[in-house]
Amino acid sequence: MSPWLRLLLYLVAAPIIGGLLAGFDRRLSARMQARQGPPLLQPFYDVIKLWQKENIVVRRSQNFYILFFLLLVIFTGALFFAGSDLLLVIFALTLAAIFFVLGAYKASSPYSFLGAERELLQMMAYEPMVLLTAIGMYMVTKSFHVHEIASHPSLLIFALPGLFLGFLYTLEIKFRKSPFDLSCSHHAHQELVRGITTEFSGRALAMIEIAHWYENVFLLGWVYLFFGSMPALGVAVSLAVFLFVILADNVFARLKWQAVLKSAWLVAVILGFGNIVVLSLFR
Amino acid sequence: MIGFRQSPWILHYDASSCNGCDIEVLACLTPLYDVERFGVINTGNPKHADIFLVTGAVNEQSKAVIRNIYHQLPEPKVVVAVGICAGSGGIFRECYNICGGVDSVIPVDVYVPGCAARPEAIIDGVVKALAVLEEKQKAMVAMANSIDKTLILRADKSDAPEILALQKVAYQSEAEIYGDDSLPALQQTLEELEEDFTHMPYRTNTLAVSRENSDPPEVNLNRIVFLKAVVNGKIIGSIRGYTVDGTAYISRLIVHPYFRGRGIGRRLLQEIEKAFPHAKRFEAYTGHKSKRNLEQLSRLGYQTFKTEVFNPIITWVYLQKSRNGEHPGTNGKPQPVVAALGSPANQ
Repeated sequence: MSPWLRLLLYLVAAPIIGGLLAGFDRRLSARMQARQGPPLLQPFYDVIKLWQKENIVVRRSQNFYILFFLLLVIFTGALFFAGSDLLLVIFALTLAAIFFVLGAYKASSPYSFLGAERELLQMMAYEPMVLLTAIGMYMVTKSFHVHEIASHPSLLIFALPGLFLGFLYTLEIKFRKSPFDLSCSHHAHQELVRGITTEFSGRALAMIEIAHWYENVFLLGWVYLFFGSMPALGVAVSLAVFLFVILADNVFARLKWQAVLKSAWLVAVILGFGNIVVLSLFR
Repeated sequence: MIGFRQSPWILHYDASSCNGCDIEVLACLTPLYDVERFGVINTGNPKHADIFLVTGAVNEQSKAVIRNIYHQLPEPKVVVAVGICAGSGGIFRECYNICGGVDSVIPVDVYVPGCAARPEAIIDGVVKALAVLEEKQKAMVAMANSIDKTLILRADKSDAPEILALQKVAYQSEAEIYGDDSLPALQQTLEELEEDFTHMPYRTNTLAVSRENSDPPEVNLNRIVFLKAVVNGKIIGSIRGYTVDGTAYISRLIVHPYFRGRGIGRRLLQEIEKAFPHAKRFEAYTGHKSKRNLEQLSRLGYQTFKTEVFNPIITWVYLQKSRNGEHPGTNGKPQPVVAALGSPANQ
């Protein structure tokens, strides 16, 4: 498949897949709690409704940042699925997250302020691990380019089991799931009202939701990279990872930010860095 | 139209309930009733909510909170009063601290009876509210399309909360220009705004008559004109004017950010000029960096005649114009206007 075709497919299919996954998530979570749960298409209904709602802002510029958050998340995924440089993808992802944080800061409400601060802490927690994952993939495939990593003949998981587990840990943070849903929980009623998204309503909130769909598809795409030589297995493991994340969300209570930061860095050092050290010793 | 019917997000507020209805509201979320089947989410955030669920009678302390939350819900929104106390005050109706049902503060769309209201009844009420929500959404779309049908009406004291909420939203752009939240309009409280309907604003420092007095003088109400711009029942703009000795002092021209650039501000200014038929001279002021306001006023014939440092960040620019389009003297002093006016009722 040509990179342009992949890119186009991503731009069109990612929000659909992401939305369905979000609907599946809500339904499955409900079943785990012995409830019936909303219809599968619920996230789409929500976004359509939000799009028609009045847009209340504290400062008008806050929505400008959210627009860039959405565009940069799409850009991140586009780089990834077009087979570009993994490092560039990581930087684009960071930039997107920073725009989200700036938007929340701009709203200058104590809740979104605290949510933004926690978001920054979460970024500090997952960034090292994400970078180490990219480095580990480079060490095996001798390339940072996604299309070369994906078409590498060996299964990366055998060389990078520690990095895979570590990446799974960061996924819990990126998906905003318990025990790491500090900045903004998917479940209502938390101590920060709605954390980082508190001051966003209407279209801005819809854009945040759509950005999460794109982001989730991109992150599952990264999981697929570990199994690039066996596509069917890769897709299956990606979905299994998503199920695992939902299960963890329903099983765990939320951690304090200190615990998140410490544990994420510990995981990054032991599983991530350890995996890379072992890799460089036994080659 | 898909959307509103499938995704009602609820904000639940306990006005002064005995907790009976609150528990039943929460019971709706449990596996037995599971309102999430209908896409209902119980959010804790008014800015994300569509349906405002209030339980309990309203007391003097929760009154202001209810009003505040109501104005934070984005349109379209629906209010559901759950339980008999929220409907009418119930058995607490006669209590010294109770002002009655929720409808004594904000408009209520659906009443759910019961003491306590049963979960089935609450769900039924929410479903009824959805129909109202959909209707309101259609009305809102119509409103966006009928902006040219904006009505300019006299505001009264009961509009104060809505105008205050609008003022805080509208002045955010000014706060951003100056990087400062200390603008008087942003600091105004509800009581102060209500006073603006009956008193000369002593903070408007051009009003020489009241500058020396610590208490704002109560004046003949005919000297005060308070206008609102209304589209389909919602206030989207407002302006205040006071007349002293033939000069009309115009202040606080506000338009909701969503409706700016569509001539609402110009219409408000023109209407308030008409509302002072005997004023010979009009005076307005704005911050020195507020380019939009200055352009708006100069397009309508206002000219700068003096500036005054308000604080290190803001300098007020005073603009004036005379009735017939000629500009009064710009020597920095308002021209003495002979009070050859008609009856006070027209003043």
